[in-house]
Amino acid sequence: MAAYLSMGEAHRRIGDYLSRVTNAISYSDGAALASLLSVSSAPASTPLSDALAAFPDFPRLAGDRFPHLADFLVPLLRAIHSHSVQRFADAYSSFEKASSAFLQEFRNWETPWAMEAMHTVALEIRLIAEKADRELATNGKNPDKLQAAGSFLMKVFGTLAVKGPKRIGALYVTCQLFKIYFRLGTVNLCRSVIRSIETARNFDFEDFPVKDKVTYMYYTGRLEVFNENFLVADQKLTYALMHCNSQSESNLRRILKFLIPVKLSIGVLPKRTLLERYNLLEYADVVTALKRGDLRLLRQALDRHEDQFLKSGVYLVLEKLELQVYQRLVKKIHNIQRQKEPAKAHQIKLDVVVRALKWLEIDMDVDEVECIMACLIYKNLIKGYFAHKSKVLVLSKQDPFPKLNGKPV
Amino acid sequence: MAEPAKPEVTEEAKMDLLEDDDEFEEFEIDQEWDDKEEGNEALQQWEDDWDDDDVNDDFSLQLRKELESNAPKN
Repeated sequence: MAAYLSMGEAHRRIGDYLSRVTNAISYSDGAALASLLSVSSAPASTPLSDALAAFPDFPRLAGDRFPHLADFLVPLLRAIHSHSVQRFADAYSSFEKASSAFLQEFRNWETPWAMEAMHTVALEIRLIAEKADRELATNGKNPDKLQAAGSFLMKVFGTLAVKGPKRIGALYVTCQLFKIYFRLGTVNLCRSVIRSIETARNFDFEDFPVKDKVTYMYYTGRLEVFNENFLVADQKLTYALMHCNSQSESNLRRILKFLIPVKLSIGVLPKRTLLERYNLLEYADVVTALKRGDLRLLRQALDRHEDQFLKSGVYLVLEKLELQVYQRLVKKIHNIQRQKEPAKAHQIKLDVVVRALKWLEIDMDVDEVECIMACLIYKNLIKGYFAHKSKVLVLSKQDPFPKLNGKPV
Repeated sequence: MAEPAKPEVTEEAKMDLLEDDDEFEEFEIDQEWDDKEEGNEALQQWEDDWDDDDVNDDFSLQLRKELESNAPKN
């Protein structure tokens, strides 16, 4: 509980905060303004929040002193107060009002001096909305604030993503929107912002700040993984990896978490040291399975980490690696035969494959194996043909197991 | 309505459900870094030429044994 605060002292502190906000606006000091708007990271008790608790008439104080900014300042103080007493849904509603008023002012300022403050508002509204939704869900109410924050940020995006000096701030807001849409599971809403970013004629993507480009490429890369566009996913996630701050271990790990399955699907394997370095050992057995042609190990690895892979949305990508593992297994059989009987090595009896699979605890009959081999041939993972009657796969003498060379299966 | 006796516990449980491990961590709002330098060693740690013809690893040796031991006489 806050120590006793005299009315006079409370009045002074609130007045001081309001002056700092209005001074930052008068002097076009974006950084100072931004730091005054960080509502959600404040500790439960601050000199200002104690003063707001001790002086309930603070809205009138703000309205009387700065009538021209009352639409912004009054709800801002309310948001700070509600947040400090952990009434997050109330804090959200007030902060959204303050944000709308701020956006109105921001539109009228010709230069982008207040971009940092606008970005702080964009971040804060998302963070406060998340807290509000948790509170609402806990109380059995409909958690709809994050969605509302998304609608507000679309307005901010609309203000920024136009020709002119403010456009450089649009990508940051895009990234906040991505975070909301991924959290809410409404990733299809990303499409219109992406189109607006990528079709801009007067603005080069490379001119955006690097931190926003990295975040953008991480999210659009993940979208491409969901859409199974592995080549584009590879480009975007590799871009994110290349440009990410090398100090940011946790973000590098997140990028790799998606880049690894993408690379695997185009036949490129991460080294063991990479998996260890970023604690991504859930992929270690998958990699070993690919190297060996060990279908059992692949299935075990998918089984063991099923929840995790499903949650990140990479399960289906990894499941599709099975064809590559089959290819590898047939190649192993071919190599073993070649050592023993080089003349007949290019003839693989399906029966032999059935036995190898049985050894790996996978029960399949000759017809099923034939079906899989047909698929491998169709996907150009094996070059050869069937002697259907004698149940033999005849491998091409030239390059019977084409490499993917960075192409998806 | 039941009195929320220990709201912290309930809230934390819900928070876990709402956590998203894959959410990209915010960079500081004014954070910039030099991305010209050949940055992340993670870019170097990939092999695209791993597909060798070696059949002397454990897995291959066992596979060979298996295929030979069960080979039908012909």
